[in-house]
Amino acid sequence: MRKGAMRRRDFLKLVATSTTGAVLFTGCGIGDGDPEREFKIESPVLNPVDLVYGRDNWYATAAGECGLIVRVFEGRAKKVEGNPDFPTNLGASDARAQALVQEVYHPDRIAQPLRLTGARGSGEYQNASWDDALTELGNDVNGARGATLVITPPLSGPMGQVVNEFVRAADAQHVAYEPEDRVVLREAVRRVFGTDTLPTLDLANTNFLVSFSADFLHTWISPVQFSRQYGEFRQGREDVRGTYWHVSSRMDGSAANADRWLPITPGTEGLVALAMAQVMVSEGLVDRAVAERVYSGISLDQYAPDAVAETAGISAEQITELARRFAEGKPSVAIAGSLAAAHTNGLFNLTAVFALNYLVGSVGQAGGIILNPAPPFGSDVPGPSSGLSYTEWTGVVNDLNSGRYQLVIVNGVDPVYGLPEALGLREALANAGKVVALSSFLDDTTLQADLILPVHTTLESWGLIAPDPGPGYQAVALQQPVVNPFVDSRAAGDIFIEAATAAGASMPWPTYEDAVRAAVDSLRRLNRGNIEAADAKQYFMMAQAQGGWWDTTETADSAPNAPETATAAAQPEYAGDPGQFPLYLLPFPSNSLGYGETANLPWLQALPDPMTSAVWSTWVELNPTTADRLGVGTGDVVRLVTPRGSAEVPVYVNPAAHPDVAAVPMGQGHTDFGRYAKGRGTNPLDLVEPATESETGALAWAGTRVRVEATGRKVRLPRFEGQVPAFQLEGAPIIEVIPSEH
Amino acid sequence: MRRILRPVVFGLVVLVLLAIPVVAILARSYFLSPTAQPAKAQPIAFTHPFHVNTLGLDCTFCHRTASTQASAGVPALEQCMFCHRVVPTTNKPNLERLVQAFESNTPIQWNRVHQMPDHVKFVHSMHINAGFDCATCHGQVQQMATVEQFRDLRMGDCIDCHRQNNARTDCAVCHY
Repeated sequence: MRKGAMRRRDFLKLVATSTTGAVLFTGCGIGDGDPEREFKIESPVLNPVDLVYGRDNWYATAAGECGLIVRVFEGRAKKVEGNPDFPTNLGASDARAQALVQEVYHPDRIAQPLRLTGARGSGEYQNASWDDALTELGNDVNGARGATLVITPPLSGPMGQVVNEFVRAADAQHVAYEPEDRVVLREAVRRVFGTDTLPTLDLANTNFLVSFSADFLHTWISPVQFSRQYGEFRQGREDVRGTYWHVSSRMDGSAANADRWLPITPGTEGLVALAMAQVMVSEGLVDRAVAERVYSGISLDQYAPDAVAETAGISAEQITELARRFAEGKPSVAIAGSLAAAHTNGLFNLTAVFALNYLVGSVGQAGGIILNPAPPFGSDVPGPSSGLSYTEWTGVVNDLNSGRYQLVIVNGVDPVYGLPEALGLREALANAGKVVALSSFLDDTTLQADLILPVHTTLESWGLIAPDPGPGYQAVALQQPVVNPFVDSRAAGDIFIEAATAAGASMPWPTYEDAVRAAVDSLRRLNRGNIEAADAKQYFMMAQAQGGWWDTTETADSAPNAPETATAAAQPEYAGDPGQFPLYLLPFPSNSLGYGETANLPWLQALPDPMTSAVWSTWVELNPTTADRLGVGTGDVVRLVTPRGSAEVPVYVNPAAHPDVAAVPMGQGHTDFGRYAKGRGTNPLDLVEPATESETGALAWAGTRVRVEATGRKVRLPRFEGQVPAFQLEGAPIIEVIPSEH
Repeated sequence: MRRILRPVVFGLVVLVLLAIPVVAILARSYFLSPTAQPAKAQPIAFTHPFHVNTLGLDCTFCHRTASTQASAGVPALEQCMFCHRVVPTTNKPNLERLVQAFESNTPIQWNRVHQMPDHVKFVHSMHINAGFDCATCHGQVQQMATVEQFRDLRMGDCIDCHRQNNARTDCAVCHY
């Protein structure tokens, strides 16, 4: 027999293996989806307009800071678009808004109240009726008077009002959760601009924009609003094309759009801003007296570009050129956020950058930072507020561990996932007498609950939202249900009203919808704004049709001319010895999954990351030199080791990655959260040491060092690019990325 | 003898092994075929035979958009109530359920009977206006106490019918 030829035995083995494989793959799969839930068809009660006129219905509603319109046909929400009238987004929307329909029809949505049967965290539940569940909640609230903790996102408008009433009735404590860099941002805005509302930008009239680590086109506070403005900034004027520089330690989607990107050492954003101020003052581009007022307590002369260039990792010439362009390209604007806020000196970074706007007179001026007025609600309706800082969360966890709380009610947030494992919130919840979750999905916090009450999703809910940041004047988005609830869920507001009533409160509104209607009626009594109507009923209908209320004349009071409180300069500090952990671990919010709150939606899981085109996974971005030193390439699995723990993730080699940085997207690594998120990827916050921002006490989630170790394993990183080999075509050469000489 | 037997056995084994996936695919196709599914109970036992045979209603009397839109339309309860406002409900539990749903403003969630694969669009109006009878795809609904799926309605079925009727069969006709 010829050497290497296939023997009969081998052939039989091969045939057997391949047929078994074929059988397994074709014969056993029965497709996914849940026929019981997926294949329902609805007879609405009244003849819908789409059947009477033969046209689809479009209903205005809202989510986040965007006004939306939703196409509804035969009682089903089909397509989401931006509301062309609503002032923050003017018809634009983003992938997260588009994916709201998947939230409604998700196969793993909780369909009825659930009561825990196994141990906490086991995920073993049995169905309960709403009557039983609400009676149980009422009894719990009465039994835990003065020992109840309510966890929600920061609430404003009628929902804030309802929860406040509940908190008063049940003598409860209310805490709000939001991503920790947002806590720092709010404090920076309060200090520099003196407002509780976040500011917006007027990019349509800006000539020069510099962003310090704020990925404002994808993740930073109001990406839809800023992306729309950015289009006008670049292409909206005949004579000017705005110039945009980006200063950050990771090239994100916004940086990739910039005219120039300056890769700095992590945490030196504030330092670079001071050096810019120093250049502007020393070259006489701005008034020294103004600079001294703006940076009171800081001697700018110490921060000449030569003095900071080495620390910042960029050249003095680059800083000088940036400063000159910023001063001469008026109107110019400087923003900072995300990673800049997530260091131990985050507040200094943000305040130093925001203060630059005072030097060039951009605060409250066309083309600059536009401050937002307080929302038009009455004094009894809460306005924008901040979430808890990490230090404050530590206090909450201590209280939980000491057994202070007999009842914990969680609504609309997943702090067990969103706060680092080092905090121990999951374990602390085990010490609460009882945990009740108002949630549509079995997320990491809901998984700790004894009783789960399913709530309406965004497209099924009432609400009145003051967008934060607003459009520069008073605006309120009206959220209305565009479809009937798809499962047996209730409005979270209604559950709080019932619980408060059970606790003996006399609530002013029988349902949450009435609370929203009452708030809209209070807008009517202001006698201003976009809606004109004869009576209250017509007014509400007009508000529904237009998607909200706004008054373009009601802007912020005159802008201050310097920060109200000075912030001292500070250096970033990192957990971990540089010898043992040579790289900086930079987690970053995902373009589609954010901080993980939308990881349950498959459309968003499948949306390619703008820099790597990776989907459905967690990866680590490494510079080619760093990767070469470790002997790894794209797809090689590495172990990220921090003083807190370790995790294994595949590498994505990116020539634009900073050589000292290992950047990992947030959003994955959920314990459950439905079939599309469960057990997928890694949550980088589990690797983060609980270092805090020095003044606000917020978590410095970018303040940890990391060591990267090769594991020798390789996986195929799911991504959009590079899946099909490039072919040389005549006249269309293949573009190859090669390392620069410098 | 053994010289002949061994290749024959070998050949048979290969044939059997190769046949397994084919049989598996056919079996899967048969057991999961929409027409092989048991009839689904509905929240209200609506009878097509009574409404069509006894009352003489046309399909489009209730499924109003069959000839004008992609979807034939499942009637709203309001439409049922046009007639049932005056039909006595005494001792008729199904009618009581209907009236109660209408009065309590609760939509009815029917179990969808006709299943089509994902990613395909079927436009009712196009087929009705080309002269096809509803029964071509839905069968004699007026004789079904509980409606069941009559045709396979998967791609092979669609293509066969399109070919027989000289309709276009390029992908974009249905997948768009």
